[in-house]
Amino acid sequence: MKKLLQNIYLSLIIFLLYAPIVTLVVLSFNNSKTRAKWGGFTGKWYVSLFQNEQIMNALYTTLIIALLSAFIATIIGTAAALGIQSMKRKPRTLVMGITNIPMLNADIVTGISLMLLFIAIGTALKFVGIQFSLGFITILIAHITFNIPYVILSVMPKLKQTKRSTYEAALDLGASPIYAFFKVVFPDILPGVFSGFLLAFTMSLDDFVITHFTKGPGVDTLSTKIYSEVRKGIKPEMYALSTILFVSVLILLILINLSPANKNGETKPKEVNKITRISHFIFRRIVPIGMALVVVAGGFFYNSKKNLKGNNQVIVYNWGEYIDPKVITLFEKETGINVVYEEFETNEIMYPKIQSGAIAYDVVCPSDYMIQRMIENDLLAELNFDNIPNIKNIGSQYMKQSKQFDAENKYSVPYCWGTIGILYNKKMVDKPIDSWSVLWDKKYKDNILMQDSVRDAFATALKYLGYSLNATDLDELEKAKELLIKQKPLVQAYVIDQVRDKMIGNEAAIGVIYSGEAIYTQLENPDLEYVIPKEGSNVWIDSWVIPKNAKHKENGEKFINFLCRPDIAKMNFDYITYSTPNTEGRKLIEDPAIRNSKIAFPSATELERCETFKFLGNKNDSIYNELWREIKSH
Amino acid sequence: MKNKKKLLAGPYLFWSASFIIIPLFMILYYGLTNNKNQFTLSNIAKITTPENMKALGLALLLSLVSTLICLILAYPLAMILASKSMNQTSFVVLVFILPMWMNFLLRTLAWQTLLEKNGVINNILSFFHLPTQSMINTPSAIILGMVYNFLPFMVLPIYNVIVKIDKDVISAAKDLGANNMQTFTKIIFPLTISGIISGIIMVFVPSLTTFVISDLLGGSKILLIGNVIEQEFKQSSNWNVGSGLSLVLMIFIIVSMALIAKYDKDGEGTAF
Repeated sequence: MKKLLQNIYLSLIIFLLYAPIVTLVVLSFNNSKTRAKWGGFTGKWYVSLFQNEQIMNALYTTLIIALLSAFIATIIGTAAALGIQSMKRKPRTLVMGITNIPMLNADIVTGISLMLLFIAIGTALKFVGIQFSLGFITILIAHITFNIPYVILSVMPKLKQTKRSTYEAALDLGASPIYAFFKVVFPDILPGVFSGFLLAFTMSLDDFVITHFTKGPGVDTLSTKIYSEVRKGIKPEMYALSTILFVSVLILLILINLSPANKNGETKPKEVNKITRISHFIFRRIVPIGMALVVVAGGFFYNSKKNLKGNNQVIVYNWGEYIDPKVITLFEKETGINVVYEEFETNEIMYPKIQSGAIAYDVVCPSDYMIQRMIENDLLAELNFDNIPNIKNIGSQYMKQSKQFDAENKYSVPYCWGTIGILYNKKMVDKPIDSWSVLWDKKYKDNILMQDSVRDAFATALKYLGYSLNATDLDELEKAKELLIKQKPLVQAYVIDQVRDKMIGNEAAIGVIYSGEAIYTQLENPDLEYVIPKEGSNVWIDSWVIPKNAKHKENGEKFINFLCRPDIAKMNFDYITYSTPNTEGRKLIEDPAIRNSKIAFPSATELERCETFKFLGNKNDSIYNELWREIKSH
Repeated sequence: MKNKKKLLAGPYLFWSASFIIIPLFMILYYGLTNNKNQFTLSNIAKITTPENMKALGLALLLSLVSTLICLILAYPLAMILASKSMNQTSFVVLVFILPMWMNFLLRTLAWQTLLEKNGVINNILSFFHLPTQSMINTPSAIILGMVYNFLPFMVLPIYNVIVKIDKDVISAAKDLGANNMQTFTKIIFPLTISGIISGIIMVFVPSLTTFVISDLLGGSKILLIGNVIEQEFKQSSNWNVGSGLSLVLMIFIIVSMALIAKYDKDGEGTAF
């Protein structure tokens, strides 16, 4: 009876632990691109996984960092454990205290502290003319740092169990200390060393927070890659990859545990023993080593592929999912320039990275008001339009609109534009929506998705109140804040790009969304309708700019010029479905319903009601941030 | 000979000085200065604003609750695991480490799929004509995420101290007439305190400081102190305030370390 209860309890916990994992495995066979819908069984993600260079690169970066960091940490850690063991009590307690710091300290604090250190080192080395910025090496150092304690703490207990007398006996019998160590002590602590290595490897593989703070552009581990994808909806290939990883580890573990070696306590005929030994050898040595070899070889393969591309590069910093990956490949092929690609989620996340100058991006794609801020703070370089002849394809009205934030059209080239509006599910609301007021309608409690970015969220409230969305009047802002606080109980979640998946999956009735996403969601779920509320809204432009500290300015201009080519602009539009300012490109869109779509290309009268965001100065900016934080933490 | 052996710790000492100690001083420096490099306490004082106090208070509450749940779940679990025969345990213990091979973010994200309004659980409920629940984007969802992610960190240290208890001690207690309850309260429990303490800390600290779980399962509606700090660094680019708030968090961590030093002198109750 007791046994049964125990087993039930155990299975319940294991069920809890593995329910999400089963979910992910199931999702990896889902034929629909979004998590929210089951579209039938498919194995296609497993095929496309191996063609997805970004994911494969992230995988190999992850594995190489995990292997290297675990390996180095094991060596340093084992040596340290031996050293600590022979210390006197006081220094030993001190050192063990230090060892505990990375384990007990919050990941976020460890990550931040290392980031501050690396950036300081980078600035210091700049004076001596050495380049050092966040990247592969910094992630590696960070991982070694938090891995060493795991090794020390697995080796120490084993070390305590070893008997000094055997070691001394070996010495007495004439063995040199090193020989005695490897013959007597080392075999005893080997299990500890091995489990330390394994733990370190696992921890490194699973780390997100520390990597998040210490990584640089173009380097992604699986964790950071996933985090950047979370907002847009995870690519199904990612589920496939996790499933493969998980299953191979599972098989490995089962092999090790079921290998006949475990039963060799009993006496057996000689031949059987031999077989046992051989299979033991196969299961415990060859299989793991073989897997490790595959990993390392694969890593070299993907890395050499990367290195072949050479040093002629351009570092691009763009919104998530904001370009057709084929466009990048095409650009690389045509120009021979290697594209290092990095994504951001909001203007507010992008800005500090450019401002701090820790990473020198070559082309960045901020929105209107942020471009104005960057110009005002002298962060942008003037473009050389001799290198961008394709600018002629951009409609003149968009160049004129750009003057609101780039007075002489000197710094920016429009890439995409659109409006902010309400996406609603026709089946879940009783009448067509035309006003921001629905966002405060109690009927839709828990059915509203709000934008999780300061300016967009305030824009809805300010417009609803009839103010300008560039309001700086404290009374107006205070009223908007009150309104947004009042709205909070009705809101299901504050999201950025997830609004797309959630609306497709009928998770909510109403969502505040960018027009570019609306077209995509309609294709996936015909019940959805997009509207620019009658009170007016925001019209925005995202444009390419080149930061002052760019190292490959000319390559950056080539990249911008390439994107302005009509055929490329069209290819991009087909993929991201955000309105293109490329008038020549728009003409190439095959489907007239989309070419003349009201959502992608709203009429002039509708646009009249819309305003562009302006940068309101650093002081007002922090007022907005402050108010937003009050709302979020209310 | 002995002195030579100590040198083996040299590389590690160098490493930990460079990448553990110095970085912490960097936080201290940023936390106590403003952007003009002048000394100030205002960054730390930022914790007293109502929003930050609320974020800290909520983080404390949620992490305390999830630590408690973890402890209640983990203790019997560790005892069951310890009572299994040796060969099985290594496997069962691996069962708890195995999920870590599925990425932490994906695992947490999978809970979204399970808890959502049209998620798996609600679909099952409605299949049985039971009322659907709204589970996602609530504090409870965040607690679930914390318990789920950090439970192994509670199980393993407790398990490690339980297996070390000498069976003879328990037999002796029984021989002297103690019943099961007494054996537990007088013998087993006191012997496992070091494991419990490190388990509590290994769960409490990461839950207190998480920003990912609250982000993914709280729908960004619920701001914890971790989210505030992350935003200060990644969005407001106010490193000084971010460091100041991190220093406040460090107070909790230092208290934890002091507790460990008090109860777990030999490092027995470590997780692994």
